[in-house]
Amino acid sequence: MYLAPVLFIFIPILASLVVYLFKNKFATYMLFVSQLALFIIFFLYLRALQTSPELSLIVFGGWDERFAISFFNDRLSLILIGLTIFIMTMVLLYTFKTNQKEINFLFFLMFLQGIFLGLLQTNDLFNLFVFVELMTVIVTILIAYKKTNHSFTAAIYYLLLNAVGAIFFLIGIILIYYVYGSINIQYLIQNMNLHSDENLIKLAFVLMMSGISIKAAFFPLFTWLPRAHSVAQTSISALLSGLIVKGALYMFIRIYLEMFSKANYNMSEFFFYLGAITAILGVVFALSQNNLKQILAYHTVSQIGIILMGLASASELSYIGGLMHIFNHAFFKSLLFLGVGLVIYGYQTKKVYAIRGVFKSMPWTSILLIIGMLSITGAPLFNGFISKTLIKYDFKDDFFKMALFTVVNIGTVTSFIKFSQILYGPKVAVLKQNNLTQLISMSLLGIGCIFIGIFYISIGQLVFNTDLSYVKIFDVRQWIEYFTYIFIGMIIYVYVVKKDFKPFKILRELSVTFENANYMFILYMVFISLLMFFR
Amino acid sequence: MLIKRITIILLLSFVLYLFIISIANLSDIYNSAGKDFFADNGFYDTGSLNLVTAIYLDYRLFDSLFEAGILLITVSGIMWISEYNILTKNAPLMLDKQKTSELFITFSRLLYPIMFLFGIYIITNGHLSPGGGFQGGAIVATAVLILYYIDISKSMDVNKLLNIEKILFILLVSIAFISLLTRNEVFTNFVPLDGSTELKSIYLILLNLIIGTKVAIGLIAIFTVFLKEGR
Amino acid sequence: MNPILSFIVILIGVFGLATSKNIIKSIFCVSIIEVGTILLFLNFGMYEGGSIPILNSIGIEIVDPLPQAIMITTIIIGSTITSLGLMLSVKIFHHYGSIEWKTVLKRDI
Repeated sequence: MYLAPVLFIFIPILASLVVYLFKNKFATYMLFVSQLALFIIFFLYLRALQTSPELSLIVFGGWDERFAISFFNDRLSLILIGLTIFIMTMVLLYTFKTNQKEINFLFFLMFLQGIFLGLLQTNDLFNLFVFVELMTVIVTILIAYKKTNHSFTAAIYYLLLNAVGAIFFLIGIILIYYVYGSINIQYLIQNMNLHSDENLIKLAFVLMMSGISIKAAFFPLFTWLPRAHSVAQTSISALLSGLIVKGALYMFIRIYLEMFSKANYNMSEFFFYLGAITAILGVVFALSQNNLKQILAYHTVSQIGIILMGLASASELSYIGGLMHIFNHAFFKSLLFLGVGLVIYGYQTKKVYAIRGVFKSMPWTSILLIIGMLSITGAPLFNGFISKTLIKYDFKDDFFKMALFTVVNIGTVTSFIKFSQILYGPKVAVLKQNNLTQLISMSLLGIGCIFIGIFYISIGQLVFNTDLSYVKIFDVRQWIEYFTYIFIGMIIYVYVVKKDFKPFKILRELSVTFENANYMFILYMVFISLLMFFR
Repeated sequence: MLIKRITIILLLSFVLYLFIISIANLSDIYNSAGKDFFADNGFYDTGSLNLVTAIYLDYRLFDSLFEAGILLITVSGIMWISEYNILTKNAPLMLDKQKTSELFITFSRLLYPIMFLFGIYIITNGHLSPGGGFQGGAIVATAVLILYYIDISKSMDVNKLLNIEKILFILLVSIAFISLLTRNEVFTNFVPLDGSTELKSIYLILLNLIIGTKVAIGLIAIFTVFLKEGR
Repeated sequence: MNPILSFIVILIGVFGLATSKNIIKSIFCVSIIEVGTILLFLNFGMYEGGSIPILNSIGIEIVDPLPQAIMITTIIIGSTITSLGLMLSVKIFHHYGSIEWKTVLKRDI
C-alpha cells in the first residue's frame, strides 16, 4: 500500500503498452481488468489512509524533501482520482464495441488516464509542468484522431495556444526557485509569506496565473474550447469536457487558493467577476448556436465560470460548492455528450432545427437526456441543484452578485429549452446501433446524478467532511424559484431566440483568429499585472 | 493594422518595464539552498562527478521517465497522423528528386563513423564530463540521418522502430523499480548508499545507454516519417 | 543585463505570435519563446565567476545545476511540440490547399 500512488500511474500505462505490442482483439478485454484493479487499489488505499495518515506523502528516492520529487494526496486529490477512474471506465464502456480494433485509440486513451492520475498527485512544480505538456500532446493527437478537415484545424489551434500557456507557467517556476530555493509545493505553501512582497514574486504570480487561465478557459482565452470539443469524436468530447478541463481547475486551486493564500494579494474579487463574465458570455454564445455539440461546448465554458464564482468566494461552503460542482459537472456533461452522440448517429445531422421526435424514436436515450438537462439547470432532486445552492451561500445578502448568478441560471434554462425542442414531434426512422454497453454506461451516469441529488447529506459528510444541511430540497421557495426560471425562459425563447434576430447571426459566425487570441492573452496579462503592481 | 501593432509593442514594453524593476535587487534575494545541497551531497549520494547527470538520473529520475514517455507518444502520434492507406514501406523518399553532389556524399562517408563514435562517447561518459543520455542521443540521431544523404534507397521500417522504443521504455521503468528490492526506495540507484563509486556508475552508464538509444530511435523515426510524407 | 536580453527574446516571440498570418510562422514563434525561456533559466542559475557543475576538486564555487537539468527536459518537450505542429500543418496543406489562418478557420456551422 505504500506504493499505491505510483501504481495508479503505471497500471494504465503498462496496460496501454501491452495492448499496443500484442495487437490482438482479446488483449483489449484486459483493459477492463486494469480498470478493476485500479478501483480495488483505490479503495484499499482509502482504507489504509484512515489508519496511518503518513502514507499520504511519498518522497522518491528517500532524499531530502525539499530537493526531490514527492507525491502528496489529500482530500482534494483523492476525490478527483476517484472521479477520474469512474469517468474513464464509463467512456471505455461506451466506446468499446466501435473501437475495439482501433489499437492506437485505446493506447492513447489509457496513457492519458495514467498521466492525468499523475497530475493530480504530484507535489513538485516542474513535474506538474511535464505532466501538463504530456496531457496537451495526447489530447492534440486524440482531437485529430478522426482526420477530417476541421479536426486538424482544431488540433493545431489547441496545441499552439496551450503550449504558450504552459511555457509562461514554466517562466514563473524559475522565478520562484530563485527566491525560495525549492520547488516543492507543500514547502512553498508553508513558507510563501516570507518573501511574497518582492516584485519578482508578484511577476511570477502574474505569469503563472496567465498560463493557468489559458488551460482552464477563463474569459478572454476560451476560444479554443468550443472548437476542440465540438469536432472531436463523441467519447473524446465527453472526456474533454468532463475531465481534462478539471485538471486545469485543480491546478488553479493548488496554485492560487493554496500556494498563494498566505501572500495577501486580494485577487478574489477579480476572479469572482471574471467567473461571472465567463458564465454570462458562455450562455449568450450557446443561445446563438445551431450545432448540437457546440451548444454543449459553450455550456462547458459557462459552467466553468460558475465553478470559478464558487471557488473565488471567501466562505467555506461556497468553496465546497465549487468543488462539488466540478464533480457534478463531470457527471451530467458526460451524460449529455454521450447521449447527443447517439442522437447524431441516428439522425446523421447535427443541427438543432432539423432533428425532431427523439422522444418517440429513442425513448431510453431521451429519458437520460432529460435527466441530464434537469441536472444542469439546477432542478431540485438532481445534483446540479445541490452545488448551485451551495455556491449561492456566500453572496445571499449581496444583491448585485445574486442578480448576476440569476441571469446565468435563466440563460441556462432558456438554452436548454431550445435544446429540448429535439424531443417533440412524431416518430422518425433512425439508425440504431443496438449497443448495450453504451446504454449501460449512460444509465450509470444518470443514476449517479439522481443519487447525488437525493442523498447529498450523507455524501457531504462522507466525502467532503462538511455538514450540507443548509441545502433543503423540499423547501417550497426553491421549487417556486425553479418554475419561475422555466416560465421566464420560455417567454424569452418564444419571443427572442426563436425569431433568430440579426445579433444572433453575428454571434454564430464569430470566430476569433489565432492572432487575436494572442492579442487578448497579452491584454489579459497586462490587466492582471496592473491590478497586482499598482494597487 | 499599424495601430494594432503599435498597441502590441506598447503593451509588451510595459511588461518589459515590469521585469526590469523586478530584477533590480537580483543578487540580494538569491536563496542558495538548492545549490549548496547539490554541491555538498551530490557526489557522495549518487557517485557521479557531473552534478547535472546526478540530478536527472537520481534525484529527479521520475521526470526523465516521462520525458522518455513524451518522445514515445509524439512518435506514435506523428506516425498515426501521417498514415496513408497504400504501402508506405516501398514508397520512394523525397530526396530522389534532387541530386546530391558527389562532394557531399564523399564527406558524409568520412564523417559518419566519427560522428557516431563521438555520440557514443558522450553517452557513456555522461557522469564524468559534460554530456549524458539525451545529448548523446541527439548526436547519434544526426549521425544516422546522414545515411539518408549517402544512400537513398535504404530506409528504416518505422513500425519496427516504434516497437523497439516501447520495449526500451518498459525496460527503463523496470530498472527504475529495481531499487525497491535492494534499497527499499523507488526510482533511485539500485546500489546501496555505501557502495563504491564504481558500482554506482554501472547504474549510471546503463541508464544513459538506454536513454541515449531511445532518444536516437525516436528522432530517427520522426525524421523518417516526415521524409515519407513528402513523396 | 543578460536576463533582460532573454526576456526581450521571449517578448519578440509573443509579438510574432500576435501578428502572424501563417501557420508555420506561428509554430516558429512558439519555438522562439521556448529558446528565450531556456536562456532565461540559464541566466537565473548563473553565478558570477562560478564554474561548471562538475566536481573536479572539492571547494570551487559552482553554478546551480538544477536549472540546467530542468532545461534538458524542456528542450525535448519543445522539439516534440514543434514536430507535432509541423506534421499537422502538412496535413492541413493537403486538405485545404493553403496554410493561412484565415482560410483554415472557417466555422463548421
